Parts: sequence; C-alpha cells; structure tokens
Amino acid sequence: MKRFADINIGDTLGPSEQFVSKDNCRAFARAGGIEAPRFTDDEGARKEGLPGMILPGNMSLGLLSKLVTDWIGAEGGARLIRMSTTYRVPVQPDHKLTLHGFVTHSTPAERTAEIDVWIENEDAERLVTGTATVQFDS
Amino acid sequence: MAVEYDPALINKVFEVTDPVSVTREKIDKFCAAIGESNPLYTDDEAAKDGPYGGIVAPPSFAVMFRNGRHFFENVPRFGRRGFDAGKDVEFVAPIRPGDAITLSSHVKEIYEKTGRTGTMVFVVIRSTLKNQNNEVVAHIDHRFMNRP
Repeated sequence: MKRFADINIGDTLGPSEQFVSKDNCRAFARAGGIEAPRFTDDEGARKEGLPGMILPGNMSLGLLSKLVTDWIGAEGGARLIRMSTTYRVPVQPDHKLTLHGFVTHSTPAERTAEIDVWIENEDAERLVTGTATVQFDS
Repeated sequence: MAVEYDPALINKVFEVTDPVSVTREKIDKFCAAIGESNPLYTDDEAAKDGPYGGIVAPPSFAVMFRNGRHFFENVPRFGRRGFDAGKDVEFVAPIRPGDAITLSSHVKEIYEKTGRTGTMVFVVIRSTLKNQNNEVVAHIDHRFMNRP
C-alpha cells in the first residue's frame, strides 16, 4: 500500500509503452458517445485538415490517469484527486506512445504529491502534458 | 488588444443536463477502451474488500459525461472553430454503478494569450457533476482554444 512517507521527489512512474490502435480509439469514442469523424475515420479526419484519425483528448486524459492509478495500485492508501492536461499536439493512433510520470513536489500538511505526467511519441515529442495530484491516507 | 465579450456570460449557468445513469456496462466499456484492468474497477469480488467497498469507475470516467445537444450553441466563439486545449479535473468522490449523474455548466473565464503561433482566445467552461444524492463527484474545467 502506498504511503506518503515512502514518496520521494524524483520518483518515476512508468515509462509505460502503449500501442493505441484505431480500433481502440473508435471503442473509446463509442464508449463516450462521440461521433466526430476525426476520432473514428481517417478520411473524415483529413477533411478537417488533420493528417488522419486522432485520439480524443479525453482518451489521453484517461491513459495518463491510469498511469497514476496503476502506480497507486489496487490496495488503496491513496487516490488521484486532480488531473490537469494540456493537449499540445494531436495524438495519432497506430503509433507507439510512451507515458511518463515524475514526482515533483510533496506537501506533508496535506499528504499530497504532485506528479508531472506526459505522453511522448516515437520522436520523444511531448504530445500531451499534465499534472496529477495524489492524496495519501497516511 | 483585450478580447471583448459580454461580462454577463461569466458564471451564467447555461445548461443542467438530465440525469445519466451509470451502469456496470458503461464502466466496463470505458475500462476496455483504455486497457484498464485494476480490480478496483473491474472485479466485483476484489473491489468488495477494497477502499470503496465495491466497484467504482476509474476517476477519469468523469470526463465521459457530455453536455447536452445545445451546449455549444451557448459557448461563445471567437473566430475560427475552437478545439479542446486541455482539461483540469478535480475528482471529488467516486462514481459508482447505479449513480445518476447530472452536469451543470457555466463559463468560468475568457482570456487571450499570445504564443509562438499567434493570438489565441481561451474559453474555460466549468462543469460540475453531481450524483443522485446531490453530492458533487467532480469539477471539470474544459479549456477551448479559438484563433481570432
């Protein structure tokens, strides 16, 4: 179980390599009732001036949140209380993505830790960046 | 030049959605789409002994609740079509199967920023999600970016 006392600035989350297929992307869009073509077919995305299908921003947020909740683990002891994301560059499916996290700050009075999180493509370009806050029970 | 808009827009609640039911099936589909296998969100037996006493949705499930059809008619536009620039989500309480979630949205902030690629206008919409007990489960700030 994760405890606040065990957390150190500089602790890393991941890197977690992911391959998000176009079908994964469509499944996420369906799960959210999203119908915009840019999330479901290449041709529709190109009509909107994109190079092809892209991941919904909410899917990137979901993947980064999962990076953090995987780090917390299934035993509890802590919970994700905040996640902020910035969508810098469209994320394309059918590419290898790597998710990273890095503990940057901790606040003993609140038993919280702040974690920088980001998604990189194969060229180590940061496509989505964010900050997560985790609160610990003890 | 500062961006011009009607100040009465700020804090004006322009939509409260009808309650949307949270089913186990919806949570399962969400988990499958992001490759989630944490037993707290996927395994009834394991989750029963976990911190929430049963299955809950992964925190980011909160962003799956959408505004109604007329939402975007109320969001002010500045120039060309805007796009989703990011989100700030505060997860207040877990969302469980059986919950009925309503979403209330207002314009929180409008501001202009000049970056490498020119001037951008950001419209921040705050959505508050409540369950059937009128408990807040999440606050979501959506940042929409427009290019004038």
